Amino acid sequence: MKEVSMFIPCTVDIFLPDIGEATVSLLRRAGVNPVYHRGQTCCGQPAMNSGYRKEAKKAAKHFIELFGNDDVIVSPSGSCICMVKHHYPELLGNEPEWFRRATELAPRMYELSQYLVDVLQVTDMGAAYRGKVAYHESCHVLRGLGVSTQPKKLISAVKGTELVAMNQDDFCCGFGGEFANHYPDISESMVEDKVQNYLDSGADLLILCEPGCLLNIGGYLSRHHPEKRVMHLATFLAQAGREVR
Amino acid sequence: MQISTEKFTELAKKGVEKARARPFLKMVPHFLYQMREAGLATLPEVSAAQAYGAAIRSEALNRLPELLEEFEKNATANGAKVFWARTAKEANEYIANLATERGAEFVIKGKSMVTEEIGLNEHLSEHGIEPWEADLGEFIIQQMHCPPFHIVGPALNISVEEIRDLFMAKAIMKEPTLDPVELGWAARLFLREKFHRAEFGVTGVNMAVAETGTIINLENEGNIRFAKSSPKTQVSVMTLEKVVPTMKDALHLIRLLSRNCSGQKISAYVSMDSGPKKESEIDGPEELIIVIVDNGRSRIYQDPQARDALRCIRCAACLNICPVYRQIGGYAYGWVYSGPMGQVLMPLLLGLDKTQDIYRACTLCGACKSVCPAGIDHPNLMLYYRSMDLSADHPFHGKKRPWREVRFFQAWGMAVQRFWMWNLGISMTRPLMNKNSHNGLIREMKGAFGGWFRKRDFPPMAEKTFHEKWEEIKKTH
Repeated sequence: MKEVSMFIPCTVDIFLPDIGEATVSLLRRAGVNPVYHRGQTCCGQPAMNSGYRKEAKKAAKHFIELFGNDDVIVSPSGSCICMVKHHYPELLGNEPEWFRRATELAPRMYELSQYLVDVLQVTDMGAAYRGKVAYHESCHVLRGLGVSTQPKKLISAVKGTELVAMNQDDFCCGFGGEFANHYPDISESMVEDKVQNYLDSGADLLILCEPGCLLNIGGYLSRHHPEKRVMHLATFLAQAGREVR
Repeated sequence: MQISTEKFTELAKKGVEKARARPFLKMVPHFLYQMREAGLATLPEVSAAQAYGAAIRSEALNRLPELLEEFEKNATANGAKVFWARTAKEANEYIANLATERGAEFVIKGKSMVTEEIGLNEHLSEHGIEPWEADLGEFIIQQMHCPPFHIVGPALNISVEEIRDLFMAKAIMKEPTLDPVELGWAARLFLREKFHRAEFGVTGVNMAVAETGTIINLENEGNIRFAKSSPKTQVSVMTLEKVVPTMKDALHLIRLLSRNCSGQKISAYVSMDSGPKKESEIDGPEELIIVIVDNGRSRIYQDPQARDALRCIRCAACLNICPVYRQIGGYAYGWVYSGPMGQVLMPLLLGLDKTQDIYRACTLCGACKSVCPAGIDHPNLMLYYRSMDLSADHPFHGKKRPWREVRFFQAWGMAVQRFWMWNLGISMTRPLMNKNSHNGLIREMKGAFGGWFRKRDFPPMAEKTFHEKWEEIKKTH
């Protein structure tokens, strides 16, 4: 069986491990064997986004050492994939050997839904869910990787599920890592708008492919609209027909 | 103009409150964005046209010194005079002296961002020469003593009621009205008298064509053309980066600028000046003076990465799509430029130390980059500024970060390469964080994460991380 290496983002590892488990289960259902390197830590985004490039570079080198020999690396986070694909070569631009390894690694990195649909060519994950679902186009998934049709195909293939349109589905939810904590006035206003659009869409579930957005939208929903739910696509596909209502 | 970039957070809060009170404010950028979409759709191949624009701007910047010399040579041959100003002060003093020498009592102005940047109006007023803004939006904010809310629509946040009250208070009209057309007429009649007596006009420049020595202005109200053609003396102020190699390049940028700005295929007025009035011509200024302002740009030019910030053609597509700009509006940015274009330009002009929030208050969503006709990667530039800011001795005046943050990332950097240390850190943090958890949710946490918890919850750390669970998962699934 083909082996696929998983990068489990630190947010998933620490706070949302069910997304990791769902990733394992989906890859197995799709007929590949997920492999997990125990040495993995973080892709380096927090340091990169705060300007600490020296530290981000350490994360990059660690990642390259660990995943450098894998044919395919899949992750349930668009922003981590963007970090490795786009920022590693830039960070390591003045170290020729590392730069070569970073550029060679980049095309082998896939966001989960992208890998399932584009590479494995599966859309029907055998899930069933009766209800209306809206999809939030996370910034790094959509604009960073150009991934948009793939998750929608996977959602549409779920039996009984209706994918409904949502206004400003491609607008940032206001997470932005440290941004959400540092500029709460702006960030809260952004997530309020996002949630309003979700409520207006008539969907009873919001699906996305980015753990950061999940923490932000989920954190706001649990405080203000506890009856409304937001889920990572992996969890939705893995659980639909089982735990989900 | 008072620069208040250091008060960003406070001003942003006010902006959010205003936008909440008047949802219309959030809708305007959205309408402008929709107009842009429709305008761009008239091009046969949108992405190719945008990429061509980016290539033109890239070439122009990479050849900047030689193109500026070529432009000066050709503009001079056309009969224009070129004055090089290293600083805002040099430009202001030169223009004020010139106006005094020409005996001008007042100056009529076409809409221009660079004269806002250098603070020309204040300087002229201090020297007894009254500047009159002739663009309706600029006229309104000049009368109100407000900064521009938006680089293209400086007064788009001002309600008709406010404009009515302003026009009555300043005796710009006699009878109060809320009809926008009537209000426009009142301003027009008021300014028409200034135009008739104008001896001295000042405008900006959208593009300066090196090949022909031509300066180009785009507008919809006709005030720039008026300010360029009726006075005897025309002064056109431009910054270094306005130069483009050829007329063909300029024409393509006109296509892109009009569409990206307002969704028009071409703006209502496009004026091209190659020198002052010629003997055979019946109108136009007797003398044309082009003031080329550096004001920190040659230093930006020297940094090949930061240089990309100078690609901007001021279409404002990035403002209209920016989710942060839509929440806070233009005043929060604290100076003349706003939105993503301001966030990448102002830190270089004012210093990284005075603009720390300007390049940090961004979620890196990339919407700006996706619409930019000049190929600017705003998020990546902001990441670059954040990294430069860590070294205090940088040419753009970086400032050291708080020691807690520095220490945190040093420790983080140690652990990120050593998974055992990383996982040890997680196990040690878990009880500290999870003691705040009630019924499987953290609703409040003291200390550094207060911003998050004002309106949001956070999940507690998992009893077992994925890492700790892996052996089980491997078997059971």
